[in-house]
Amino acid sequence: MKFTLTMSGADLLLLLPEILLTTWLCVVLAVDFVWPQLRKDRLAYLSVGGLAVVLVTLFWFDLAGISGTLFKHMFVVDRLAIFFKILIVGTTLLVILASMDYVRRFRFFRGEYYFLVLMSALGMMFMSSANDLLSVFITVEFSTFGFYVLVAYLRQDLASNEAGLKFFILGIFAAGLLAYGISLVYGETGKIVFSDIASASATPGLVIGFLLIFAALGFKIGAVPFHAWIPDTYHGAPTPITAFLSIAPKVAAFAILLRMLFVSLATFKPAWVVLLVAVSILSMTYGNIVAIAQRNIKRLLAYSGIAQIGNVLIGLAAGTKMGSDAMLFYLLTYLFANLGAFAVVIAVGNVIRSDEIEDYSGLNRRSPFLAFAMLVFLLSLAGVPPLAGFIGKIYIFLAAIDEGLYTLIVVGLINVVIALYYYLVIVKKMYINEPVDPSPLRISGPMTAVVYVGLAGTIILGIYPRPFIDWVVGATLMFSNLVGPTASVLPPTVLPFGG
Amino acid sequence: MAEYSLLIILFAPFAGVIALMFVPNRRALQVRLTAATAAFVSFLGSWYVFFAYDTAKGGFQFVQRFEWSKELGIAFYLGVDGIGTPLVLACTILLFAGIFVSWHIKDRTKEFYIFLLILGAATMGVFMSLDLFFLYFFYEMSVIPMYLLLGVWGSHTQGYLEMTDPAQMKKRDSVSFIFNFAANSKEYAAMKLTLFLSAGAVFALMGILLIYKFSGLHTFDILVLREHAELSGSLAWVIWLLVFFGFASIAPIWPLHSWSPVGHAAAPAATSMLHAGVLMKLGHFSIIRILYEIMPDTTRELMPIAAVLCIFSIIYGGLVAYYAKDTKYVIGYSSSSHMGYVFLGMAALDYISLTGAVLYMFAHALATGMLFAMAGWVYDQTHTREIASLGGLVNRMPFVTGCFLVACVASIGMPGTVNFIAEIMILVGSWNKYPFQVLVAVVGIVLTTGYLFRMMRGVFYGPMEEKYSHSHDAVTVVDRLPLLLMIACTISFGIFPGHVYDVIRSGVEPLIARITEVAPLISQHSGGVMP
Repeated sequence: MKFTLTMSGADLLLLLPEILLTTWLCVVLAVDFVWPQLRKDRLAYLSVGGLAVVLVTLFWFDLAGISGTLFKHMFVVDRLAIFFKILIVGTTLLVILASMDYVRRFRFFRGEYYFLVLMSALGMMFMSSANDLLSVFITVEFSTFGFYVLVAYLRQDLASNEAGLKFFILGIFAAGLLAYGISLVYGETGKIVFSDIASASATPGLVIGFLLIFAALGFKIGAVPFHAWIPDTYHGAPTPITAFLSIAPKVAAFAILLRMLFVSLATFKPAWVVLLVAVSILSMTYGNIVAIAQRNIKRLLAYSGIAQIGNVLIGLAAGTKMGSDAMLFYLLTYLFANLGAFAVVIAVGNVIRSDEIEDYSGLNRRSPFLAFAMLVFLLSLAGVPPLAGFIGKIYIFLAAIDEGLYTLIVVGLINVVIALYYYLVIVKKMYINEPVDPSPLRISGPMTAVVYVGLAGTIILGIYPRPFIDWVVGATLMFSNLVGPTASVLPPTVLPFGG
Repeated sequence: MAEYSLLIILFAPFAGVIALMFVPNRRALQVRLTAATAAFVSFLGSWYVFFAYDTAKGGFQFVQRFEWSKELGIAFYLGVDGIGTPLVLACTILLFAGIFVSWHIKDRTKEFYIFLLILGAATMGVFMSLDLFFLYFFYEMSVIPMYLLLGVWGSHTQGYLEMTDPAQMKKRDSVSFIFNFAANSKEYAAMKLTLFLSAGAVFALMGILLIYKFSGLHTFDILVLREHAELSGSLAWVIWLLVFFGFASIAPIWPLHSWSPVGHAAAPAATSMLHAGVLMKLGHFSIIRILYEIMPDTTRELMPIAAVLCIFSIIYGGLVAYYAKDTKYVIGYSSSSHMGYVFLGMAALDYISLTGAVLYMFAHALATGMLFAMAGWVYDQTHTREIASLGGLVNRMPFVTGCFLVACVASIGMPGTVNFIAEIMILVGSWNKYPFQVLVAVVGIVLTTGYLFRMMRGVFYGPMEEKYSHSHDAVTVVDRLPLLLMIACTISFGIFPGHVYDVIRSGVEPLIARITEVAPLISQHSGGVMP
């Protein structure tokens, strides 16, 4: 096959956000090398500035409706990809702001930290645009390399080293699965572009291949039974990286899953719905039940994250346009609430140097603002009105009930109550228990900004979600022809309570 | 202006919450006045709505509708009918009174009023919502502030002290703690209440989602669903049971009542008032609003369940209240017991009994509000709720004793109070259909007399212990205002029930007509899951 690479100026335009970010991360690295005495805060602001420019470009893309494909359909730009890129870049921006105090803990390589974060972000932006199996593999690995280093960044800390090693070994294993799955699918069909594979028939090789790919992506999103790395990695990693890891890679992996399932595998929907229902039920139930027993807030958020991913998978399992809308909206609410919660954890951790839930006792007396913010974020994660998480959950459930996934909804609703319990235990610590050390907590400016962004997002999405719902609906217009014959997947008689 | 009344009533407390965020916590008086102003605006608004409600026209009035999300079929749709109007009024009276009852709270005053206002506003939101989504939205929103109000500002029950040694502290955070019925700490009460009500809400939500799907209308609009939703067969039964037991858990119907006395006892006075006064009525109200409106046929078939369960509610609640040793438990169980009367009135599906039931909700809100306000006063003065250890307080607080007597008399349903009218309407209206339950209810009244006067005697009469000699009466305007306000309402509505009766009748009449006069469907039991 003769491979020619012809690119016009218009093609380059499609790559503009990525080109900007690539240039910028080189600039950040160069500045750090050339000017080692520069205060690292300045590097952070430099990175944030660059990301803000990328974010503006992405919003312009979204409004202008710029779309197209590049490199023989390897790289796609459409509103869906842009939506995911906005989420990723926005998360990265907030994570960098939230890192600024934390970075002082690192003895070495404070400047490279920002470079690595930006590089991971770049990888995940490419992930959102991946449109064939080859680019899936390249982008997934590209984005993960940065994380391998970042997770182990606290060199003196054994937990961080352990986290890095665990993440690395399991990540490499997942990469192996991904490569093997891709090779099987390519061997069976001879095609790698998602839309080309759609016409393939179900052979055993293809099924095994896709199962392996699903397992690798399940590793990225941290769904049960591919979640084993999550608690230890989250616990050991530097907290801003935990926050980053809990949102951005999952969002990017959902972009790939969405394209793969809704485009390549649309004809096999009845099969993968069953798979997703099972994974979703396992994730929600396991995540929530194990979260109850946690004593460390990072581990608790790790397990609650597993459960939240289970919720997102409900939307994916619905397998309709509405399901994908709900999923996107839920990811948006998850971003604000989870990032906000981690921001509070970082802010508190910077002062008290502890992540034990016990040490959150009396937070309301030490810092009413942080306690209130944490209350809002936790309640949003629990799905309490009038916060974003409630709308997200209802949206997901509505999408699922339209498809008749009753079992999933019943399990999901019961899990809402279980989750409420452990979130309220933290609320109890913060508000009801008395502090051991009642000195007020001081938080820095950038940290406050991140918490405010989280609060604003969580509350606005809950009270006035209409523009955001319109946005996600617009982002998934490509799936509007998806009205699959799904009623047959689960017989209507599975209505619970003997209906 | 007039058509925006409901928006003003609903959003005044929320505006108060936002204003409170900018008031510094150390300016306690400013905090209290801000909260009182917000509640007062709602209070005035609801009186206006109550008297401006056109009883000749009936139906939903003061309607406001804003498209919230076309994609999901949700509209922010407010309106009150004859059932909602008096309940909104009861809610604002109690919220306004509650602000003054909790005037002396010193610990984190600002946060207390923020959560109290959210609780009050969310409760009003349920009474006004004409959209299932927002009904659930406000319902769930009213449950969460309860957790903090109970947990932070509540009080422990006797027996809690065994749990406070350091070795046992951890136990209070463990999972087994939820099932540990012996430990009645405020944390336990708060967690139990929140989880219980959320679990109930989740069942109700399942029912609501099923209504959304199987009506096939892609809307949450109650008025559209009422006209066009056709749900029948076993599907309708499933939905009805989910919604009924989901909301009946907050009502609370026996055997789902166990959270309620524990929660009442732990809550600070103003929260108990709102909780027993209006929060519990959310259950009855939601059942009427959803099931009576949307599924009249199924309601006719299945409402006898409530008629059976209300027997246990009335007798069990009454007996436990009689033997309870703690003032707030007595009032809490008496509320559980009295809610059985409302279920009886609702179950009879008779026009007089349902009017009585709605009026009883209103009357009970005021009566129980008074009782809790005064139990809270006594607790603040003596720091105990144990009836046995109290006594002779009439010497120290004659005014409170007098008010307590009025509240007891109202609770029992003495002529001259609005409770009497409500009670008699329930009994008369249900006699034809459920004579046995009416007899039980009469026994319940006797029980009520028994336990309330037993408590009255134990707390206010007899010899007084020396350590309570420092306790004092409600003398300032701020302390007397809430009690006098509720007494005035109870008695004036008891003597002039004309307007409130007309208002409720205009809401109940079409409802009962729909339920009793619809011809039974032929395929009632043959249908499958699909409509």
